[in-house]
Amino acid sequence: MRRIVIRRLAQIIPLIFAVIVLNFVLIHLAPGSLFDVMTAEQQVTDPAMLDQLRHTYGVDQPTWVQLAKYIWSVMRFDLGFSYRQNAPVLDVILQQLPATLILMLSATAVALLVGVTAGVLASVKVNSIWDNLISLGAVFFFAAPSFWLGIMMTVLFAVKFGWFPVGGMRTIGADHGAFADALDVMHHLVLPATALGLFYAATYARVMRASMLEVFRLDFVRTARAKGLSFGRVLLAHVMRNALLPIITLLGLQLGTMLGGSVVIEAVFSWPGIGSLLFDSVMSRNFPMVLGVLVLGSVLVAVCNATVDLLYMRLDPRIRAR
Amino acid sequence: MAADPGLNRPPVLAIDKLQVSLFTRRGVLPAVDGLSLDVAPGETVAIVGESGCGKSLAALAVMRLLPEPPARIVGGGVRFMGRDLAALSEREMQRVRGKDISMIFQDPMTSLDPVLTVGDQLIEAIRQHTEASWREAANRAVELLRQVRIPDAERRLDDYPHQMSGGMSQRVMIAMAIACGPQLLIADEPTTALDVTVQAQILELLKELQTRSGMGLIIITHDLGVVAETADRVVVMYAGRKVEEARVGALFDRPLHPYTRGLLGATPSAIRRRGGRLAEIAGSVPALSDLPAGCAFQNRCPDVFDRCRAERPALATLLPQQSAACFAAEKELSRNVAAIGA
Amino acid sequence: MLALAIDFARRFARNRAALVGFVLVIAVIGIALSAPWLFPRNPLRIVGRPEIWPFTTSRYLLGTDSLGRDIAAMIAYGARTTLLIGLCASLTATIIGISVGATAAYFGGWVDEILMRLTELFQTIPNLIFVLTIVSILGQKIEYVTIAVGIVTWTPIARLTRAEFMSLRDREFVQACRSMGMGNLRIMFGEILPNALPPVIVLSSLVIAGAVLFESAVSFLGLGDPNVSSWGGLIGDGRTLIRTSWYICAVPGMAIMLTVLALNLVGDGLNDALNPKLRDR
Repeated sequence: MRRIVIRRLAQIIPLIFAVIVLNFVLIHLAPGSLFDVMTAEQQVTDPAMLDQLRHTYGVDQPTWVQLAKYIWSVMRFDLGFSYRQNAPVLDVILQQLPATLILMLSATAVALLVGVTAGVLASVKVNSIWDNLISLGAVFFFAAPSFWLGIMMTVLFAVKFGWFPVGGMRTIGADHGAFADALDVMHHLVLPATALGLFYAATYARVMRASMLEVFRLDFVRTARAKGLSFGRVLLAHVMRNALLPIITLLGLQLGTMLGGSVVIEAVFSWPGIGSLLFDSVMSRNFPMVLGVLVLGSVLVAVCNATVDLLYMRLDPRIRAR
Repeated sequence: MAADPGLNRPPVLAIDKLQVSLFTRRGVLPAVDGLSLDVAPGETVAIVGESGCGKSLAALAVMRLLPEPPARIVGGGVRFMGRDLAALSEREMQRVRGKDISMIFQDPMTSLDPVLTVGDQLIEAIRQHTEASWREAANRAVELLRQVRIPDAERRLDDYPHQMSGGMSQRVMIAMAIACGPQLLIADEPTTALDVTVQAQILELLKELQTRSGMGLIIITHDLGVVAETADRVVVMYAGRKVEEARVGALFDRPLHPYTRGLLGATPSAIRRRGGRLAEIAGSVPALSDLPAGCAFQNRCPDVFDRCRAERPALATLLPQQSAACFAAEKELSRNVAAIGA
Repeated sequence: MLALAIDFARRFARNRAALVGFVLVIAVIGIALSAPWLFPRNPLRIVGRPEIWPFTTSRYLLGTDSLGRDIAAMIAYGARTTLLIGLCASLTATIIGISVGATAAYFGGWVDEILMRLTELFQTIPNLIFVLTIVSILGQKIEYVTIAVGIVTWTPIARLTRAEFMSLRDREFVQACRSMGMGNLRIMFGEILPNALPPVIVLSSLVIAGAVLFESAVSFLGLGDPNVSSWGGLIGDGRTLIRTSWYICAVPGMAIMLTVLALNLVGDGLNDALNPKLRDR
């Protein structure tokens, strides 16, 4: 098993490599040179510093040397310097990353809880009024743009009812202990996580429903009932375990999209994650930051995909054998 | 054959004019039409017929495991040890399933949950009906696997179903079925999906387990070879109806119903006797939505005459312990009796 | 051929939800096409008082926005933008996707390996981030947005095409063609592709829906083309006024939702019509 884990993780490396190369291509499409991008040359005035930077990035050398030097610098975790924040790109990104991770995890939790429950309910009461309502809801939340949902939810729950804050991650100026701080963050998290997660909840609901109906028809369900198990036990111990497998595959595939979705949601709710950072950087033409987010985002997705793959292998014994 | 076990004791199972209908878009189909059947303790009853004749549905009806749309019991009753099964609540029925009556199915490879180990599934069956702790259940599970003659039983507990062969999976199914000492075991085509070499072993195992425990055994099959191997009594079904019932010896020696004769004519051993030609019964089973008035077998029957098309033949005891639903057979036998009498 | 089409139409029509979706799509196309007649002047012009609520006057049925522009006009013209970008982006994605998938499946071997790695690469890069990157580098013109959206949505089409091709590649009729001396390209696009097309068509309606959502996100963030009116852009403009005039956000959002919904329903209907055996559950 350990060998499989290592092998799967090792598959990420050529992927990251390709992302870095792609990044390089994009840099060359940008106005200015690679050097400009990596150093925001206009703001550096110290000539000695400029010389050193020129050497590091091999400005006057052929393209493939530049590429090699770029790859080398990325491997050393040097993604360039951002003058807007006056700090290395990587540092800024890592500082904002946790907020996005919290948002994505919460949104996934919402999506799974709501989606799987809805799907199971719809399949158990198939073709009833509940089933139709759930399917209708799924179709609605699948089609509605998440940023619009976020805004509408803000209008209703924050502006009209005042139950939740309009934006931000924390209440400004409050000085709480760690526990109260966590509660504060969670309070701010509800609307953005729900807005982001409902789209995926809709997908999971549809897939779970179909998957459950599929599994209901399988022979081993009949065997379980013939053993005298109650319907509830059959559902939980046998049907759901099998029906959840496609959802896990889906989870992996959705992560890239969700990272993109968080960009918009963070913009709507002023959530201080890498989405806001990206937005800000795009607006201010801060290319090193934009490309840094691209690379890091891809790494994140690749790692998450590998993790989900391994999780699936752990859960489906038929795959494990191979 | 040995003396009949339990012929004079009250039946373990008494099916009385059971009617199961399928409610489909094309209408209401009488999938099981007035089936009556008794199983005595320690007795093996085989239900024979082509696919679609209603034998599996009848078994599922006994277990109350019918696929609710589209199937439903619309008439008749089922009594188990004197208890009316139809009157039980679902919870009470759950206490019967797996404990008093067990069932094993045709394809063992798909009848086990692929994401749980064999041990987990066995233990689940044991703990469902007993107060055993997990450890105790695990030990019992190993015992059961040994009883069904699975080698290296302890190691097998941690296997997953896909790691086992068809024969071994079916043994596991049997182990799960007998785990709580049922009084009746229903086996729906237990050997159909298995290799020929393994089939005999499984049947032998079933008989052995039955002798040891004295439970009733119903074997549903379309294979007369299986019937010959295992049954004490045979029930022949056609298009949802019972057309003949007899002790196994009598059925093979002196089949009354033309359908039974046709089935026997089509068995490999009969072919050998006839010198190689496969006698098929001409025609095919009528669709349930298209049943003719009168006898369902009329369009394929070599002995058909007018009365068959007009009236539906009722099951009549034409010989000691052998009954058939056939006017031609009745006519034939009464002629013989008259001949003897004269 | 005509009989097939009629049969297909009949199967499609049996699904009422799909019919509703189809009608909605036609309605959106209708609005988009008739926008220049309904609202002859530039929708981005200021025409009246700002922040008039919808259904309060008969002149501005859907109200006006923060600057006093006619929302109904902007919605109508926005339909044009949305459909244009949606169609062009998905066309781009379909062309790329089919080419990649077909080539990978047909030639197999290391060609397949490389192309699949490429597909995996584009699946790993977070979609919207990539679009924003491209738009920020190339510029905020409608063509660049379209290309960017097309570039991130081709991967599912490639995978599907490859799967379909692989199941058809080894069939007898292909071998017959090859023995007749037909060139590879001809076989791929003339013989195999028409048979592989149905599921791809179903997928493309979903791809169009996805492209619409992407484009609306990009213009919401203010990175779309400022010279065209777009539904996402409307929502972005209305953000600052959600306390008082939240309809400015609500109306275009409903438009997006209905369009995407309609496309999804049509996609489901197409799927059911093309795979009848899965339908009768």
